[in-house]
Amino acid sequence: MIDFIIANMAPIIFVSMVLFLLLGYPVAFALAANGIVFGLIGIELGLLGPQLFQALPDRLLGVMSNDTLLAVPFFTFMGLILERSGMAEDLLDTIGQLFGPIRGGLAYAVIFVGALLAATTGVVAASVISMGLISLPIMLRYGYDKRLASGVIAASGTLAQIIPPSLVLIIMADQLGKSVGDMYKGAFIPGFILAGLYVGYVVLVSIFKPKWVPALPLEARSFREPNGATGGRSLLVLTVISVAIAIAFAKTLPADKPLDELIVLCLMLGILVPFVIALINKAFKIGLLSAMAEKVTFVLIPPLALIFLVLGTIFLGIATPTEGGAMGATGALLMAIGRKRLNVSLLKQAMTTTARLTTFVVFILIGARIFSLTFYGVDGHRWVEHLLTDLPGGQIGFLIVVNILVFLLAFFLDFFELSFIVVPLLGPVAEKLGIDLIWFGVLLGVNMQTSFMHPPFGFALFYLRSVAPASVKTTDIYWGAIPFVCIQIIMVALIIAFPQLVTAGLDKDVKVDINTIELMAPSVDYGAEEEPAPAPTEPEKK
Amino acid sequence: MNALLKLSRLIDELTERIGKAAIWTVLIVVLISSGNAVMRYTINYSSNAYLEIQWYLFGLIFFSCAGYTLLHNEHVRIDVITGNFSKRTQTWIDILGTVFFLVPMACLVLYMATPVLLDSIKSNEMSNNEGGLIMWPARFMIVAGFFLLLLQGLSELIKRVGFLMGLCPDPTEKYKKKSAEEELAEAIRAEKGVPQ
Repeated sequence: MIDFIIANMAPIIFVSMVLFLLLGYPVAFALAANGIVFGLIGIELGLLGPQLFQALPDRLLGVMSNDTLLAVPFFTFMGLILERSGMAEDLLDTIGQLFGPIRGGLAYAVIFVGALLAATTGVVAASVISMGLISLPIMLRYGYDKRLASGVIAASGTLAQIIPPSLVLIIMADQLGKSVGDMYKGAFIPGFILAGLYVGYVVLVSIFKPKWVPALPLEARSFREPNGATGGRSLLVLTVISVAIAIAFAKTLPADKPLDELIVLCLMLGILVPFVIALINKAFKIGLLSAMAEKVTFVLIPPLALIFLVLGTIFLGIATPTEGGAMGATGALLMAIGRKRLNVSLLKQAMTTTARLTTFVVFILIGARIFSLTFYGVDGHRWVEHLLTDLPGGQIGFLIVVNILVFLLAFFLDFFELSFIVVPLLGPVAEKLGIDLIWFGVLLGVNMQTSFMHPPFGFALFYLRSVAPASVKTTDIYWGAIPFVCIQIIMVALIIAFPQLVTAGLDKDVKVDINTIELMAPSVDYGAEEEPAPAPTEPEKK
Repeated sequence: MNALLKLSRLIDELTERIGKAAIWTVLIVVLISSGNAVMRYTINYSSNAYLEIQWYLFGLIFFSCAGYTLLHNEHVRIDVITGNFSKRTQTWIDILGTVFFLVPMACLVLYMATPVLLDSIKSNEMSNNEGGLIMWPARFMIVAGFFLLLLQGLSELIKRVGFLMGLCPDPTEKYKKKSAEEELAEAIRAEKGVPQ
């Protein structure tokens, strides 16, 4: 009996962890207790040294001094302030009017705004609730198919999970020991391709099932010039001018500028031009622009400015991702003050929610660290490695199994639990198989995004249910999500088939000085010496 | 038992006050961190003390809110299976979980971290970074945080036993407040004039 336990310690710990977690007691404490119980048994059986838990205080200090995780409260806080600033509502109204007159237009507007909100912050619930309350009623009123309308809203809301800056990518980067900036760069293109696939689906629907996605009827369109035109031509001209100026500017820059830096700079200029024109137009009432062009310009400026403040500064190497989060949060605060939306009770609520989310996330990590002390102590990681490297098919076999596993686990676990418990077990194996960890992280990120959408536990569906009118049945919401879950799976397959989708964003950033910035951050690797075994959960600090 | 319930109410009060004060750390650390980035970029000024204060405050957020989060029943659970159990069974799980999971964890951390803290105070331990801060406040947060967590764990234990004995109401009901999502939905509804 004792021999059996000694020989199979790792699988026993693993199985009992699953059982402990399923009890429904808070994950953080169940994980930690699992580590402690088996740590003591291991010490008793002579499997582990009596000094096993000596490293604990320094490991906790290591969690505190983790600069990457500090981004979690920043982006959460930013999202909470921003969702109450009214920005999303303005965007949905205006962009809905802009695209509404074409078939499928309201659905395109939802996807567009979803991607835009996703690039400013990363809160799925907020996007889904705003869209569910603003776009869904309009879509239903003008005859959209209920399933398609709810599916497109749920899916567009979850874009926040994969388009940077997102919490999943931060935690993934932390657990895989990679830089958040690289993870963001890698996820950028796949995120927008995914949004493109959603658009493609709506295009198909508008061709084959035009009745599902009717255009807004004339009386529902609110943009109207005195002469009866929509003002679309003025917007088109404005867009063409801005794009031309941005491209001309790009040509003047030295050719060796990194691509991401180039894009950020050109975008900035391309936004500034119409903004200045619109300001002048408004101030002097010269009537150069149509109402539509002016409104669209003004409504797009705040989100684009925030995107620059966060992603722009990160990609340009001005700020670390953590500082980018702080800048974004400050920007969101200023914007909320400017729009007269900020009051003490909102501020307190945002801080309380942020503090609690941070606490439970960090405590899951603390629990996972205590668990890993024991699990790695008994060579559990080697056991997992053996299981997974022996799979037939090498890399591809591993990827397929892992993706199916994560897809299924995501029915029961949320992404915090998956990233803290499952990802650290998979990362080292992936590395051993020669898989690029950034690419692997983005792949898992897209996969986990699905967990927000699949019935019956998907959070996005749950939030949509809470705000959707009663005429939309719960089964409509479930059925509506399924095509988008399929698109998600196609995206996972695409990333596996074409790794350059992720890696193309990464190659040229050698000279971006994010690295030098990180050097200045406290780089104390507490307790590295006393570790019983090199634990992959403790990323190498630079 | 009544004395214990009184004690539990005292603990809850303490936890609530600490939590309510500690949430302001979020705002402070946001401002300090964006200040750091701006200062470095504009006037090329950067100090390890200001970088370190960021993670001191980060620690302050989650260590001082550990008990607070427990009080509000917000530590994440996997309740796919147990979510359907009766209230009594769930309460029993919480009691056993507190006794066998939470209390041992907190005690072990306190047992391991307290001597390290005392050493750190005695030796006036400084951070390894030039111009860095003294270390013991960081180590103190760990000890204090887990002490508060343990204390709140005991209070939760008392309340749940009390609930099973029929001496007090269901402790998880009291703190069910509107979530940020519900408030957002309400705000948008109010603005759009949509009825609930």
